[in-house]
Amino acid sequence: MGQFREVTSGRRVVQKLYITIMLWFVGRAIVAAYKSDPEVRREFDTLPGGFTFSLGVLPVGPRMVIRKEQDGKVRYLGQGKGEVMDLDLTIKHMQAFFMILSFQESTSTANARARLYVDGGVPEACAVVRVLDVVQVHLLPKFIAKLAVKRYPAWSWTRHILVRSKVYLRTVTGI
Amino acid sequence: MYNPGYYEFYCGVKTVAGHHALERIPALLKELGASKPMIITDKGVAAAGLVTVVAQALEAGMPAVVVEDDVPVDSDVGTVHRIASVYLSKGCDALIAVGGGSVMDTAKGVNIVVSEEAENLLDFAGAGVLKRALKPLVAVPTTAGTGSEVTMVAVINDPSVNRKLLFTSHFLLPDIAVLDSRMTLTLPSHLTAATAMDAMTHAIEAYTCLSKNPISDAFAMEAVSLISRNLLSVVDRPDDQEGRLALAVAANLAGIAFSNSMVGMVHTLGHSVGGVCHVPHGTCMSILLPYGLEYNMHKNGRWTGELLYPIAGEAIYAATAVEKRADKAVACIRQFNQALFEATGGRHSRCFKEVLDAQGKPAVPREKLADIAQTALGDGSIFYNPEEVDFEDALMVMEAAWAGDPLDRSLVKTA
Repeated sequence: MGQFREVTSGRRVVQKLYITIMLWFVGRAIVAAYKSDPEVRREFDTLPGGFTFSLGVLPVGPRMVIRKEQDGKVRYLGQGKGEVMDLDLTIKHMQAFFMILSFQESTSTANARARLYVDGGVPEACAVVRVLDVVQVHLLPKFIAKLAVKRYPAWSWTRHILVRSKVYLRTVTGI
Repeated sequence: MYNPGYYEFYCGVKTVAGHHALERIPALLKELGASKPMIITDKGVAAAGLVTVVAQALEAGMPAVVVEDDVPVDSDVGTVHRIASVYLSKGCDALIAVGGGSVMDTAKGVNIVVSEEAENLLDFAGAGVLKRALKPLVAVPTTAGTGSEVTMVAVINDPSVNRKLLFTSHFLLPDIAVLDSRMTLTLPSHLTAATAMDAMTHAIEAYTCLSKNPISDAFAMEAVSLISRNLLSVVDRPDDQEGRLALAVAANLAGIAFSNSMVGMVHTLGHSVGGVCHVPHGTCMSILLPYGLEYNMHKNGRWTGELLYPIAGEAIYAATAVEKRADKAVACIRQFNQALFEATGGRHSRCFKEVLDAQGKPAVPREKLADIAQTALGDGSIFYNPEEVDFEDALMVMEAAWAGDPLDRSLVKTA
């Protein structure tokens, strides 16, 4: 054994930091969109009270956790350590998640390429993915959002300007 | 050839195909350590004498067989639990599913309950919930359509919420698929047509939707070709054993293709029509297939165009301009449905307003279309459709498929 040098795998510190920040931002934006966008609210209305879901990366990468409380309010729970999940959306490895969050690969393409692991009910997963799509359209400029969703939506200007402004404001301030 | 940046392909099912394939089951089950299998089937299959054929094939090598033949047309949670309790009380150690999609799905559901000692099947709904191998399962299809004998999916109805639940796991793949031409010889012509169009839809959606990959494409292409070349002749001559075996193999190939490449909005809407109005799955598929292709054509017309070759043959493919091939492929599928409508004396429906229930009443009332569109939004196959599908989109397609009018593609929302 002595003649072999032990090698420690390199850590993708910058990549992990980027994903952590993006997840933090997306988590807060989901709550902001729930408060500001009727379509997102309708999607959450279909989920049962107490429903908790996460979006993260295997094996122990960063994740964000969202819960719809019994009273209907939606909360961002950060990493949600110790929370029991009703739905886990997990990307199989860090590099794949980086490609999604850096918009090199759309969510639908990532799913089609078996990068996404869904543990939980399918109808709920469909609702959560639709919420994520709406949030991405709110957060990103059109030329980037078009890479992230299957079809860039034809929203009214009020939704594009006013609702988006509210989503941004609430994401940043947490109000 | 389309070569995605990354894909996964898996088929862990041993396939045994031929005119006397059933006789291999005892030896194959013994290899898996089983000695007392339960046959799960439905009353229609039993009445057609097919269970007798299977039992006779097993007789010499495995005489102790329990038969459970009370599976409904749409497998449901209650049936799964009832059969699982019989399995446990009789001390069975393997399952042989003899039937169509509903029987296969029921057997997979029973296998979950007996292997996991589950109190509630619903605890295992969704993708990837199962974590270990289940009891040995032999799948003997009696329709050439669902491909359930090689799929890792089970769709089981939950009447309490009027929704079809999806179970997905590699552990749901049967251990052995047995394709024997004797099993489909007595299938009525309209069921032969509908189930084969189900297989056709599996292959075409696998080839044209987002998860396509080169390996699945090869399976899908051959499946489409086999169905196109054999279906009409088998409907005309039901005792054509070679044709029957070709359709069974095609369904198998299509099953392998879509199990790895998934399916799109034809299944999204079809599952929903089945859940809300209880229309047989194959009927939904044959009606919706041209509409799904039309809806997505601005995104995947290239792949649809390539399918003209196995659908219509070399001469028509070569004589059709490249930009016209997708439209031509859709037109050929409509012609195919029309030919099947005529060959079955009108029992192969071309649109939803023609579909009748057991009492002869319309099975899909127009006022149910909104419910169908809404339910469709919770179906997992929607992820794999090339174009986004929202409520208005789903309703638009359903309206056209109900009336039997080609889809007005100018109304399809694009980015």
